[in-house]
Amino acid sequence: MRTTLPLILAFISGIIMVVSFFINPEQKVLGDISQELLIWASIIGGFSFLLGAVSITRVNWRSYKTRRPGWGYNLVTIVGVFMMAIPALWPTSWLPESMASLAGRNAGSVYDWFFLYLATPMSQTMFAILAFYIATAAYRAFRARSSQATLLLITASIVMLWRVPMGEALLRVIYDGLPEIINTYIMAGINMSVQRGIIIGAALGAATFSLRILLGIERTYMGKG
Amino acid sequence: MKIITFLSTLNRRWVYTLVWIAVIIPLLFPMSFKINTTPEVQSLYDAVENVPDSSTVLLTFDLWPNALAETEPMARTALHHLFRKNCNVVTLTTIPLGGPSVAERVTREVAALYDKKYGVDYVNLGYKPNYVSVLRGLATSIESIYPTDNSGTMLSQLPLMHTVKTYDQIAFIFIVADNGIVDNWVSIVNAQFGKKMCAAVTSVMAPKLYAYMGSGQLTGILGGMKGAAEYEQLVHKPGLATIGISIQSLVHFLIIALIGLGNLGFFLERRAKQKEARG
Amino acid sequence: MLYCFVRHLTTRLLTGLLTIVALVTITPAQICAQEAPAGFFRTDRINMLVAVIFFSIVVLIYTRWAKQGKPLFIRKINGLDAVEEAVGRATEMGKPVLFIPGLQEIDEIETIAGISILGRVAKITAQYETPLIVPVRYPMVLAAGMEVVEQAYTEAGRQDSYNKDTVRYVAGDQMAFAATVNGMMVREKPAANIFMGAFFAESLLLAETGNAVGSIQIAGTARPEQIPFFIAACDYTLMGEELYAASAYLSHEPLLLGGLKGQDLMKLVIIASIIIGIVLTLFGVQTTFTSWFHQ
Repeated sequence: MRTTLPLILAFISGIIMVVSFFINPEQKVLGDISQELLIWASIIGGFSFLLGAVSITRVNWRSYKTRRPGWGYNLVTIVGVFMMAIPALWPTSWLPESMASLAGRNAGSVYDWFFLYLATPMSQTMFAILAFYIATAAYRAFRARSSQATLLLITASIVMLWRVPMGEALLRVIYDGLPEIINTYIMAGINMSVQRGIIIGAALGAATFSLRILLGIERTYMGKG
Repeated sequence: MKIITFLSTLNRRWVYTLVWIAVIIPLLFPMSFKINTTPEVQSLYDAVENVPDSSTVLLTFDLWPNALAETEPMARTALHHLFRKNCNVVTLTTIPLGGPSVAERVTREVAALYDKKYGVDYVNLGYKPNYVSVLRGLATSIESIYPTDNSGTMLSQLPLMHTVKTYDQIAFIFIVADNGIVDNWVSIVNAQFGKKMCAAVTSVMAPKLYAYMGSGQLTGILGGMKGAAEYEQLVHKPGLATIGISIQSLVHFLIIALIGLGNLGFFLERRAKQKEARG
Repeated sequence: MLYCFVRHLTTRLLTGLLTIVALVTITPAQICAQEAPAGFFRTDRINMLVAVIFFSIVVLIYTRWAKQGKPLFIRKINGLDAVEEAVGRATEMGKPVLFIPGLQEIDEIETIAGISILGRVAKITAQYETPLIVPVRYPMVLAAGMEVVEQAYTEAGRQDSYNKDTVRYVAGDQMAFAATVNGMMVREKPAANIFMGAFFAESLLLAETGNAVGSIQIAGTARPEQIPFFIAACDYTLMGEELYAASAYLSHEPLLLGGLKGQDLMKLVIIASIIIGIVLTLFGVQTTFTSWFHQ
């Protein structure tokens, strides 16, 4: 039952969604049922955040309690989670009027302050590191080892030039219509056809995988290998 | 040879230092270059221009806070463009962290410049989990997926949402994203419900979207900071993207120079090894 | 075995069919109260229905052939052949293997593919007694990952070696996850990094840090925009559907191989349709065939 019931549920709900795709939306039974399923999926997704909050607290608390190496960071994580969550969830009616704007998630609240002045700069800093990493990766990996690698590095260099105004100005010095040629033949030509191939291939792979899940052949989502 | 050793064992910290210098110089000595409009951006601008004035447009903030440097200028310029046309704007996001807060802040800031009233001219629906459910569910009923807006106000209390019930009342979808959600917007909303849409994405994502533009599923693409700068120029609202593109220009040149340097070292090393093998 | 398969398949299809019939014919009040719809089926989507049915039949036929023992050829995928070599390297060096099943939720196909590969990799690490580290971004992925790894260790007969902390929930935010995993790589210096699943901007952050600590790296993603970064920074890269094929390739399970072959046939059909369509369009021929590809 533990294995069979999830398989039956997966099959039925999957079939409903597939069939509803081919049924006229004015045909209310399947249309309403599929809409209900979508709402349920959204609600279940919300519960997963609760699960996440419990998980992160439990995992980090355990590491802190047992004083594992780096336990200080675990403590900071727990403090950070509650520091943002509690003000966001605090009912505004429990605070005096002068302080009501501090609760909730609106502009000017404690949550918003932490998001704007802590979370956002930290995320952007990590993202900005990519600029440095791309430079080292390009220096190390873009070597003309073979004809394909040479083609790759020449194309990459041309597209990098095309993508910025300074580079575009340089390309126009060589030939006035060169940026447009690059756009037409490289980006909207070779690039587009290759991307289409990858998208179609990946979509077929995903469709096969979905069919396997629907028919109960693939059970990894249940934790079965 | 010393140069071969230097190039092949170049410490990555020197590369980091060079990138840092390339970013600092344009900040200290601002540069400006002529920004030519690419067909994809022009197509996006024309598509938004062709949206009837005073119609309702769905603007998505499917973005994480880390890529705000590229995506926020796009969203701001889109809002300027739409409010200037007197369009009503409904915003939503499929990203839990960042999306609702950024949408709230940016939309209110730009709306204030055009005297737009919340609930009448624009609404922020916020975030709901499971984006597939959201994208499909909005086609049947926006209110069943979003009973309230981002602040918890019932949609029935917002005048704009009295007339906007499903995708049918939305004239155009302007997607601002920094992740693969654009694929889902195209495959679920455009393919199944035929909604016209365009996408403003980070430069890493832009090459993939040419496939959707080629098939007519997207009416235009803004790709990265250059796309944002071009759009700012077209809408006559120069902003952060126009400033940032000059920094990006110098870094691109540096990376090309580093590629050249790396290959120089590679060829010199290979030649030295061949000489050694020949004796 | 064939009888069991057919019986199971028929049971499932019948269950589904009966469900649909029940939903459609057992009329709730709301249907009676409504006007008759313009048409029950969306005739504008007949082309999609034909494609879905054809695709499903093809996959099921090949799955059946695979179960019957027919040899099905799959080309060599270097990245997957290197997995065992990578784990062996880690064992020799006495260092752990780091596996990341992507940064999406469990309901994403790429994550399920990643978890599926995790099961195979965990079996190999269990056999070699190599430590395995699996940082995950979502709690549902944590739960699925823990079950899969535990089962892999049990199947390898090494249940005692299984460590509950193998699969670790690290962070919900993308960049926080990347920062945490980078820290893990710098401290624990894994000998092999395997990235299989959906990755975004953090792909280069992870791969470049892994490269800096000297790990052998195998990556696989169906996100075309991240493939270039993995190619630049990893030793082996699986592109697009090779990620979905990995599970079948590593396990050689007939059911999975059959699905893979069916998918390949579908690809051939699409290629043939594209070529025929191009030729017809070039000569300005308008037929039913070309109209089937219009929305």
